[in-house]
Amino acid sequence: ETDEEVKVLKPKVAVCKEDDDFMSAFDQMMNDSIQARTQESLKVPHVDIAIPTQVKNKTKKLALPGQGISDKEDEEKDKEKSGTTGLKFVLMTRKGNKQQLTDFEIPMTAEFATKFKEREEAEKLE
Amino acid sequence: EEEPEENQFCMKDLPKHACSYCGIHDPACVVYCNASKKWFCNGRGNTSGSHIINHLVRAKAKEVTLHKDGPLGETVLECYNCGCRNVFLLGFIPAKAESVVVLLCRHPCANLSNLKDMNWDPSQWQPLINDRSFLSWLVKVPSEQDQLRSRQITAQQINKLEELWKDNPDAKLEDLERTGLDEEPTQVQLRYDDAYQYQNIFGPLVKLEADYDKRLKESQTQDNIVTRWDTGLNKKRIAYFCLSKANDEMKLMHGDELRLRYIGELQKSWSGVGHVIKIPDNHSDEIAIELKSNAGVPENCTHNFVLDFVWKSTSFDRMQSALKTFAVDDSSVWGYIYHKLLGHEVEDIVLKCTLPKRFSAPGLPELNHSQVYAVKTVLQRPLSLIQGPPGTGKTVTSATVVYHMVKQNNGPVLVCAPSNIAVDQLTEKIHKTGLKVVRLCAKSREAIDSPVSFLALHNQIRNMDTLPELNKLQQLKDEYDRLNNSELGRAKEIKATAADVICCTCVGAGDPRLAKLQFSSVLIDESTQATEPECMIPVILGCRQLILVGDHCQLGPVVMCKKAARAGLSQSLFERLVVLGIRPIRLQVQYRMHPALSSFPSNIFYEGSLQNGVTAAERIRSGLDFPWPQPDKPMFFYSTFGTEEISSSGTSYLNRTEAANIEKLATRLLRAGVKPEQIGIITPYEGQRAYQVQHMQYNGALNKKLYMEIEVASVDAFQGREKDFILLSCVRSNEHQGIGFLNDPRRLNVALTRAKYGVIIVGNPKMLSRQTLWCHLLTYYREQKCLVEGPLSSLKECFVNISKPRKLVN
Ligand SMILES: [Zn+2]
Ligand SMILES: [Zn+2]
Ligand SMILES: [Zn+2]
Repeated sequence: ETDEEVKVLKPKVAVCKEDDDFMSAFDQMMNDSIQARTQESLKVPHVDIAIPTQVKNKTKKLALPGQGISDKEDEEKDKEKSGTTGLKFVLMTRKGNKQQLTDFEIPMTAEFATKFKEREEAEKLE
Repeated sequence: EEEPEENQFCMKDLPKHACSYCGIHDPACVVYCNASKKWFCNGRGNTSGSHIINHLVRAKAKEVTLHKDGPLGETVLECYNCGCRNVFLLGFIPAKAESVVVLLCRHPCANLSNLKDMNWDPSQWQPLINDRSFLSWLVKVPSEQDQLRSRQITAQQINKLEELWKDNPDAKLEDLERTGLDEEPTQVQLRYDDAYQYQNIFGPLVKLEADYDKRLKESQTQDNIVTRWDTGLNKKRIAYFCLSKANDEMKLMHGDELRLRYIGELQKSWSGVGHVIKIPDNHSDEIAIELKSNAGVPENCTHNFVLDFVWKSTSFDRMQSALKTFAVDDSSVWGYIYHKLLGHEVEDIVLKCTLPKRFSAPGLPELNHSQVYAVKTVLQRPLSLIQGPPGTGKTVTSATVVYHMVKQNNGPVLVCAPSNIAVDQLTEKIHKTGLKVVRLCAKSREAIDSPVSFLALHNQIRNMDTLPELNKLQQLKDEYDRLNNSELGRAKEIKATAADVICCTCVGAGDPRLAKLQFSSVLIDESTQATEPECMIPVILGCRQLILVGDHCQLGPVVMCKKAARAGLSQSLFERLVVLGIRPIRLQVQYRMHPALSSFPSNIFYEGSLQNGVTAAERIRSGLDFPWPQPDKPMFFYSTFGTEEISSSGTSYLNRTEAANIEKLATRLLRAGVKPEQIGIITPYEGQRAYQVQHMQYNGALNKKLYMEIEVASVDAFQGREKDFILLSCVRSNEHQGIGFLNDPRRLNVALTRAKYGVIIVGNPKMLSRQTLWCHLLTYYREQKCLVEGPLSSLKECFVNISKPRKLVN
């Protein structure tokens, strides 16, 4: 009858040799990748990554509170679900030779989102 | 009670994109590995990295695709600018003013200068992988609830599954149990009924290690090798080349065999085998192999070569054969030794021997009292252990023992150690006593130069042409070379040198050239670094008197196969004999460290028994301008509270602050006039090692060349060696990791006992003090007023809270 809360215990890291080995293998792989890159003499195409105009307009809109593309109600619901607010972003990727733009959300808990918000506010003050 | 099977996890009805480890299949949470064509989730379960990262690392894969129904749609992750798909290099940068981000590789694209002009903010670059999982906005992390209800897979099971996939890519976790791969081998024991049981337990462990080694080496093929050709003094062709991957994985050593293949179109394909004669060092990354045959070598070609590692079973075969001989041939060791080794109760025996009047050997330093005691005791016993803590003159003692054993006239003495370096060091010392020494090398190492090359059998034979006896021998040698190296000829070759002492590695003692010879006296140095089957190779050549030298309080043998290590293969024979109650004779006077440096290791690792054979005055560098907090104690703990450890900078496994501090300390020592080769830097992780090397060379205030001469390596690489000054960097990896390597007391012991004139430890005292052993170390440094912080020019005592030390239990 009672609406007893189900307490789920957070999965705990099981300390073991295999896991330690994984961690050092990870470090090794990260390091090898970086090393190999810095040693290679890479022929990199000239950077020409202009911010597309459609994004400029779109994001400007998004940055204004309450005028986002997504429905405000949905947004509220999302907030309730995750308990955090997110920041809307557009991710620029390439599919073959075509540029692809995808909307997505970075949770406010992410360090990057916090920084972005701070900067934005600082700019508003100016 | 209603749905008892709910908890039972069932894989069979899951969609294709379910995590191959745990079954989670929310499209927003899974990633496709392009190489292995399997899906994995971004949840950690009970491991330190998310499942996809676990997989990528273990399968050495780097490219991934996101699910079409995920938040970003079907996307191959790649650098927007250069197309690089290595996810370990990818990150993103935001635009300065707009809410837009772009994926770029860390180097070179995110570093290109004109990005700023285009309104991007490269200083905000962040990696896609953070704390060993993908950023959650890129791939969702399954909820804790979902993770707990999915299949609980352990790191051990992940390992086994990945192994299984190498042979059978369609294998499922359920197959693990079916194939019996989950079975653990029988554990080693303290005592054995007989040598058959001994062989039955060790044989499978050696097999496991051999299989592991074989698979590892054979997976190392590398293509796109560019070659440069040269000819050696012996007219053999030498190929020089660099490996695109770091050498860490290959772990190449002198004498290893590599196969070089030409697959280009400039001439017909070719393949040739050669021995490694040069490995990468601080000066050049080149590797050199000397080819066995000059026939058809494509000397005009430089590109389009492929390199394979040639795995050799020799060392494992020799261990197996030693185990077998021990079991079936009762003349292989004398009965007393046989029973002692198996842990049986045997009445003590005193050997008849004429004790010398003088215990010090000619050409070697005078012995101290504990060394004399050791020599005197072991000469009268059939089986003894000598424990040599750091700097106590183990090699001199061993050489002196060998000298007196030869004088007992019981035939030639066989002297072994696990590594070639250790054998060379001991050979040199024995040679100084005036004994006739032969250094027996593997054929593949004959081309390698060492300080004792002139004592090598092949060189001695070559130099003895003048003797009529040897002329005959040379003829014989040529003869048997023709007759495909008959064993008899080989044995005669050694006999003809009339050697008092034969020196070789433990594995080298299984050389066919020794097979027909008997050695009643055997000494094994560094025996605590050999596995038990390795130690048995020299023992089964008719041993009646066995002396094992080593230190079980320093690092033990390296066993790569985890299963074999767990079953006890990583315990040395020396250690087992200690557990069986054979008391090692401990050398007690150390001649290496400043007394202030030896005090802690002595108290913690050797029950306070180490005495100092050097005075503080002899170990103070007079006139050295260096800011020791206590002028009479050349040591301090330099507190560093680097926050990078838990930051999201993408290099969280590195500790930049620590690397910067180590560089400042090194620079200060160099400025004070310390030669770079007298400084050693110990770092626990390969990642930190490489970063440290680079950081010093690019950011150090002095000439880059000076920093290149400073050896930066793991503790293991410093075992058995010494430096004037040691800088120890203690980084731990990050929040999901304990203190890792630093927990091992034997490793800490080695790290603390390498320096003669000074030790500086750099680390976070707060974090380290959570570990009992480190807590004791920190308390000691604090008591000595050597726990400090602040700039080097004005070090101040550091009063950070550290835990109270708990009692150490041995
Ligand atoms: Zn999973
Ligand atoms: Zn790039
Ligand atoms: Zn017995």
